[in-house]
Amino acid sequence: MSALPGVPGHEGPAAEAIAKAFSIHADRVERDRAGNVRGWIEGTAPKPRPRALFAAHMDRIGFLVKAIEPGGFIRLTELGGFDSRTLLAKEVVIHSSPPIVGLFATKPPHLLKKGEADRVIPSEDLYIDTGRSERDVRRIVPIGTPVTLRQPPVDLLGGRLAAPAMDDRAGVAVLLGMLEILHLDRPEWDVVMVATVEEEFGLYCLGAKTATESIDPQLGVAIDVTHGDMPGVKEGDTYVLGSGPAICVGGNIHPLVFEGMKRSARALGLPYNVEGCPITSATDAMDIQIAREGVPTGVIGIPCRYMHTGIETVAPEDVDRCARVLAHFVAGLEPSWRAEEVLK
Amino acid sequence: MIAPPFDDALLGRLSEASGVSGGEDAVRRILIDDVRDHVDTLEIDALGSLVARISPAAPRSPRSKGSRRSRRGPHVLLCAHMDEVGLMVFAIEKDGRLRVRRVGGIDQRILVGQVFRVGASGLRGVLGALPPHLVSRPEREKVISIEDMYLDIGASTREEAERHVAVGDYACFDTAYEKWGSTRKGKAFDDRVGCTVLASLVKKRPPVPVTAVWSVQEEVGLRGAGAAARRANADVAIVLEGTASGEAPGASPGESAPLMGGGPALTVQDRTLMADARLVDLLERTGKERKIPTQWKRPGVGGTDAGRISLSGAGIPSAVVSVACRYIHAPAAYLDVRDPQRVTALVWHTLESLRKEWT
Amino acid sequence: MSTLESNVDALLPELLAAFGPSGRESGVRRALRKALRGLGTLSEDATGNLRLHRPGRGPRLLLATPMDAAGVIVTRVDASGLGRVTLLGTRAPVELVGSTVVFEDGRKALLGYDRGPGSKNGADLEADQLFLETGLGKKGEREFPVGSVGAIEDRPARLGEFWCGANIEGRAGCAAVVAALRAARSSRYDLHVVFAAQSGLGARGATTGAFGIDPELAVVVDVAHIEGRETAGIAVGKGPCLGLKESGYVAHPEALALLKRAASAARVKTQWLIREHEGTDARAIRAARIGVPTALVAIPARRSGAAFSLAHARDITQTAALVAKLLAGVPAKGGSR
Repeated sequence: MSALPGVPGHEGPAAEAIAKAFSIHADRVERDRAGNVRGWIEGTAPKPRPRALFAAHMDRIGFLVKAIEPGGFIRLTELGGFDSRTLLAKEVVIHSSPPIVGLFATKPPHLLKKGEADRVIPSEDLYIDTGRSERDVRRIVPIGTPVTLRQPPVDLLGGRLAAPAMDDRAGVAVLLGMLEILHLDRPEWDVVMVATVEEEFGLYCLGAKTATESIDPQLGVAIDVTHGDMPGVKEGDTYVLGSGPAICVGGNIHPLVFEGMKRSARALGLPYNVEGCPITSATDAMDIQIAREGVPTGVIGIPCRYMHTGIETVAPEDVDRCARVLAHFVAGLEPSWRAEEVLK
Repeated sequence: MIAPPFDDALLGRLSEASGVSGGEDAVRRILIDDVRDHVDTLEIDALGSLVARISPAAPRSPRSKGSRRSRRGPHVLLCAHMDEVGLMVFAIEKDGRLRVRRVGGIDQRILVGQVFRVGASGLRGVLGALPPHLVSRPEREKVISIEDMYLDIGASTREEAERHVAVGDYACFDTAYEKWGSTRKGKAFDDRVGCTVLASLVKKRPPVPVTAVWSVQEEVGLRGAGAAARRANADVAIVLEGTASGEAPGASPGESAPLMGGGPALTVQDRTLMADARLVDLLERTGKERKIPTQWKRPGVGGTDAGRISLSGAGIPSAVVSVACRYIHAPAAYLDVRDPQRVTALVWHTLESLRKEWT
Repeated sequence: MSTLESNVDALLPELLAAFGPSGRESGVRRALRKALRGLGTLSEDATGNLRLHRPGRGPRLLLATPMDAAGVIVTRVDASGLGRVTLLGTRAPVELVGSTVVFEDGRKALLGYDRGPGSKNGADLEADQLFLETGLGKKGEREFPVGSVGAIEDRPARLGEFWCGANIEGRAGCAAVVAALRAARSSRYDLHVVFAAQSGLGARGATTGAFGIDPELAVVVDVAHIEGRETAGIAVGKGPCLGLKESGYVAHPEALALLKRAASAARVKTQWLIREHEGTDARAIRAARIGVPTALVAIPARRSGAAFSLAHARDITQTAALVAKLLAGVPAKGGSR
């Protein structure tokens, strides 16, 4: 899944593949007007049934071709936040038809001026070289073509996986895992897995906001990556890879959903972390929670190292645990469960 | 009709309750007890906001639908936020110290040496710093970052701390509510004073249909109010706030405004809202007619739930009426209790004017 | 002279001069109401948007363009008659120095600035260094109470092929849209036009307008400032810009394709707009309700950090021609740039 393109606003090809994967276990798969892919599991309670929405974003950070310069060099505009220091000398795929390969060009040490190697190159000064003639580039690559980092997945020791777009294709994998469990072990609620568009760019989490508006769920959960343990970072800022998902707590999360997810993890005997989100979870949950008349929301994170590079690293067992915790949680919901309380 | 009195005692109870954004439980409970018997319906919505509906008494003689409608007046959304700025525990270290982060806008320079109440139990903790003896001179020129501060609850191991505190617990300032003369001192006047005004208003049946919203999470991005407003689908909205007054040594009268004790502060514009011109005009006019002094909140600064409410659905004409308080977003603020009394009266009489003339 | 051109030439000066700072768009609403007479059903909403509806059997199309302009709000006036202001909109304070501020009832005042110690050329000017010279001394405070909303006075001018004015940003799009509506009397859409209020305050009118209309497709007409590296490669006078990406907005591929076909059918040469820091109402409209496929066409304008902008007359009429063609209907497939 890490190989699928899908920069914000251009999720089409990824959406097709994800829809296909969803359709193995989902009762019904659809693509909505905003471009989200939704896979439904029908609940067993009598109709009308409440609906639970689980969201993981399918867009990945990337670029668009902004200009083609003399010599065929390509300037890019970013969609999503890269650290320009991580981009030098990386290979990219330019998603033209046919797709072509290029790389972020650099100077060899021999040609560097004194002190130049100590300076950071801002991303607007970076450019792509395809090794093709200007004429070819202009013919093949229209302005606005999406570009993504090109990095085949790498299997590390201990089963860990390093690849681009783990943020948040790892979350989409959780949705698939949930479908696999829930199509057999039916919940009473209707459950809809939404692979959302445009979480990484824009004023809003576009996919989450629009999907919540049209689905009108009584519960919403965002699945995203959180920071994995890395050296030089204080305790509590990151979560150890393989130590289980991070269940988030804070204003963006309804206390009942937080407690419910923890209860499920304990019931399954699975390890988990608790992540404090003082102001925002910075996930799709931001827009799910305040859509329509308000939605009780939960957030769960998969520990991931080196976020927003081409080698985002996760432990697959965390993905699996995440799916099991969420499936258990939603399967345990009574049809009458609501976060709202009528006092009078 | 005579405007209802402002409930000073309720302000004291609300001010001392803990209600950091996302953890408004205790505040909500006090408000539920206070207003339950006076409203037609009362609910906690999906985000945690407390929502009450209250309609004017039914007219004595039945008339045609149209005229009853016009006499009932517009459906008014009144909103005040329950939450306050504070801290969240986000890690518990091996030696039992708590790492904290800010919830809402707090100047980190005011934190050192403060006492906090942590979690639902209200356990005390102190935010310590090295004594001056142990800090080099150049170091003392620098602001202490919250990243270098720890909340000390007295625990000496993680296990001991975890018996009392969990990651995600909120910590609020530990400030007693006090009064002398017309001055009131306490924490969280932004916006417990608005919450109290709103409770005072609904305890006397208002002259128009009202949806009262005590919202959650204003301080972390106006999160509760928009959802509640979308649900209420009101015709007009008035937000009740505690706002910053500007007095300081050497400040000119213009720079000091709005003044504590200067009467209800009306908003023309802030970073989130262009107040509805008709509504602002009506508030100002009602103040003049009722001899309630009003003043202008300084344009261009701050933002309130009204920003979100005014953009909810297809848009709602909105205004803000504030009590000018000194030192909001800090452990202790001052207000002049005559101000919330006047805000209560001004909003009440404005509701009467709305019933008569809003179309 | 084409009809489009004469329409724009007749409309634009009046629209530019109309009073309408963000949130207080009364004057420009009045001017637009007059210009739109007979073109559809007009209404206003709570945010101050002016809306036009022209019923049709096709899909619900929202055509949106901002109508507000930069302004100031008085924050205080001292005994010497000097006031302080806060700014409405995204203009840098330095751009407003020397402007005349006009209030809704016609009173005027001037904007100056304090040259603070260490200030070099005013480029780093903060809004609180601006002052309002009322010329009234002590009476200033009474005449310009806190909260008074003023607009930047516009004295529009035609310089060669260029329209020049302080309010080009908010009004060139209005002129193009009105001209297009006059040209395309029938539409293959159920057409809703929003002349959006409070656009400069963060797409507020577009947010509520789009929610109220719940469109299936949207086209935003706006002005894009051509300034420095942000918009390198775009030239004024070389045709309308089709938005590919800007702050908060990525083009919807199908909506963009429709606009491209309209441009090609109208024989309008276009340019590409990709920019990082500025954005239009498109970012809000696309997120309305269940999501709206949204395209953006922008009239390029030169601002050069001054109180006025220049837009090429042909770019405005070409934008009108493109929109008119879109309304009249373009082939579903085929036709490329």
